[in-house]
Amino acid sequence: MPTALRKNRTQLIILAILALLLFMAIQGMSTKDWVVTLLRALSVGAITFLVASGFSIILGLMDVLNLAHGTLFMIGAYVGWSAYVRPDTLIDLLPPLALLLAGFLLGPIWSNWLERLAWGSRRRHLWPWAGLILALALLWIAAGKFPVAIWHAQEYTDSPIVWAQNFERGLVAESLTPAPRGGPALLALVGLLLAGVAASLSLAGLRRRAGQMSGQVAAAARRRALIGCALLAGLGLLIFLFDDTLTRFLLGLDTTLLFLIAIIVATLAGASLGALMESTLIRPLYERPIYQIMLTFGLAFIGTELVRAVWGRTGFTMPRPSLFAGTGDGCPAASIGGWFTHKCSTILLTFGEDTARIRTYNEIFVIIVGLIVLVAVWLLLQRTRLGMIIRAGVQDSEMVEALGINVRRVFTLVFALGVGLAALGGVLAGPSMGLSDAMGANLLLGALIALAIGGLTSYPGAAAGSLLVGLLQQFIIKYGQIGINLPFLDAPFKPSPPLVPASTILLMVIILLLMPQGLFGRRE
Amino acid sequence: MLSPLLSVQAIHTFIGQFHILEGVSVEVPAGSIVALLGRNGAGKTTTLKSILGLTPPRQGKVLFDGQEIQGRRSFEIAALGIGFVPEHRAIFRDLSVEENLKIAERNKGDLERKADFIFGLFPDLKRLIKLPGTNLSGGQQQMLAVARALVPDNKLLLIDEPSEGLAPVIIESMMEAIRQLSADSTVLLVEQNFLVASRLAETYVIIEEGRSVKSGSMKDLVDDKETIYRYLGAA
Repeated sequence: MPTALRKNRTQLIILAILALLLFMAIQGMSTKDWVVTLLRALSVGAITFLVASGFSIILGLMDVLNLAHGTLFMIGAYVGWSAYVRPDTLIDLLPPLALLLAGFLLGPIWSNWLERLAWGSRRRHLWPWAGLILALALLWIAAGKFPVAIWHAQEYTDSPIVWAQNFERGLVAESLTPAPRGGPALLALVGLLLAGVAASLSLAGLRRRAGQMSGQVAAAARRRALIGCALLAGLGLLIFLFDDTLTRFLLGLDTTLLFLIAIIVATLAGASLGALMESTLIRPLYERPIYQIMLTFGLAFIGTELVRAVWGRTGFTMPRPSLFAGTGDGCPAASIGGWFTHKCSTILLTFGEDTARIRTYNEIFVIIVGLIVLVAVWLLLQRTRLGMIIRAGVQDSEMVEALGINVRRVFTLVFALGVGLAALGGVLAGPSMGLSDAMGANLLLGALIALAIGGLTSYPGAAAGSLLVGLLQQFIIKYGQIGINLPFLDAPFKPSPPLVPASTILLMVIILLLMPQGLFGRRE
Repeated sequence: MLSPLLSVQAIHTFIGQFHILEGVSVEVPAGSIVALLGRNGAGKTTTLKSILGLTPPRQGKVLFDGQEIQGRRSFEIAALGIGFVPEHRAIFRDLSVEENLKIAERNKGDLERKADFIFGLFPDLKRLIKLPGTNLSGGQQQMLAVARALVPDNKLLLIDEPSEGLAPVIIESMMEAIRQLSADSTVLLVEQNFLVASRLAETYVIIEEGRSVKSGSMKDLVDDKETIYRYLGAA
């Protein structure tokens, strides 16, 4: 394949140089040092990749530069923390959400009925807006009246910091005070259902267009809406009735299981937030890229302030799940089997005379999840019809629409997917990096550098760029501790901490100078 | 006479602030090939895109199969049975030939059902089925773009400049393919190359500066040197 070699010459040379540099960096360290550094690099790379890949798919398909992506990563972490440390808050929040959504699902029911309204043009145009205002007012009142057990960031004894400590000592179950249940709470739930109904009715009135669906399709949609509404409302009421039992059940679970639930909750919350954001705020601005950037930039700040208002300004920890927390008998484990029996936080790996301490959560679990997501999203893109539509839409979404495919729905799905991935990254990063209101901005910067290195809209590029950023950061941090022996210096050279972010930007500049499209980007 | 399959009635289309179409009317009888003629920038491509709702018309009506379709979303219009072959051979470069065809399926199994017909028209594509679109030659890409529109059961095909930038031999086989596929469906064709258009189409509509100015049977136009010279330049 000489032509393929010639075509990708620059790319191959750069990759070869990078591999050589990695090789040299490894040579300068003892075995245990480079193994641990490599694993840490993979761990940082995995988290960066979760943010970068979602950002890049959204940018590729919709040309939306989602500057709120870092904030959404952070919100994922905070939501995951809440589901994990305070399952009672999670359970308390489910019924109101379910009933609001149940009312909202009724949308398709109204169109037929609205057709028969014989109102004058002015009234027809105005009532949906009045309905929306009514829905918002109902939502405001009812949501305020529904009691939810929650922490209070302003009082230290009830703040997330203390709850995280209680969680680590296993004291959460005893320190809970359940929110009052009874008539007013039930009334608030009914109010939320009505708010959802009012919102769906008004929205149906706003986008009323004649003769859109054939009778059969419309009837099927109505049936689905009714069934969905009934199921959701029933589920919400059930959770409301068995609130206390469910909370006790969740608190009784092993923390590893609870952590899995938190991962799922955070990812779903992120995906829903993404879908909501795309369908309400981004969609009207597809033709206006500058406004879009301003919007997502603003949303990033709003999200950060929201997090500060609910969880407070100070950072706190997310305790590691039990499988990765043990320090007692048999720990650190000497093998994978020993880790599972004793649930150790660290494993010792022996290389000749050296032993490397590997943290099971940061340096094994995070990497495995990152690899699973890497493969899963790749399979989604390459092997499914949705993936085919995404890849085609990245090049020409207008033509995809002209084939009879509802591209707008695909946009919403992809936005949900991208934000869901970022939220997953956030909750994964919680136990290793801790939670703070700056975590989003820091990570977004790393992800953007990774994407610039790898090629903005290339999926393999996102993976390679994230890995490079992780490697460079971690090797420089390690060399900052042990020093590099340079031939023309007496003392070993120790890179100072500020060199860490600078080095990734330097790598980005060098690669962009040689390959303006990034390592895997397409030349336009 | 039967009502036409497609009837475009005095549409006005804006792109940004530019008034591109200022009253275009086109009738396409079922089973025929109609050619849209006119100079560069006259509004032929915009007419096709306005029918599909890619550049939605602000005024006028578009009737397809008896229903008004103006103002609907593009994917809904296309799903009624309209296939689009855009200019510049806009195939999906990152998808293989097979995926380029599969993505056009509206029901599962469309491609399998139509495979014999499509590969009968374009035997080359069968050989290239696993190759990525970016590796195809210009002619092969054009064939793929036409083939893609044939995968679902489309009643109407909108074909934009099928001969543009192709070698004469390939133009011949492309014309043969369009003639064959028109046995099953109706075609609205945009074509700069008057020789190609005149040999394919039965009727024509001339568009000049965003207005449809003349229409009739292609047989008459071929002998009407004055009209050809006036609206199309030297033929």
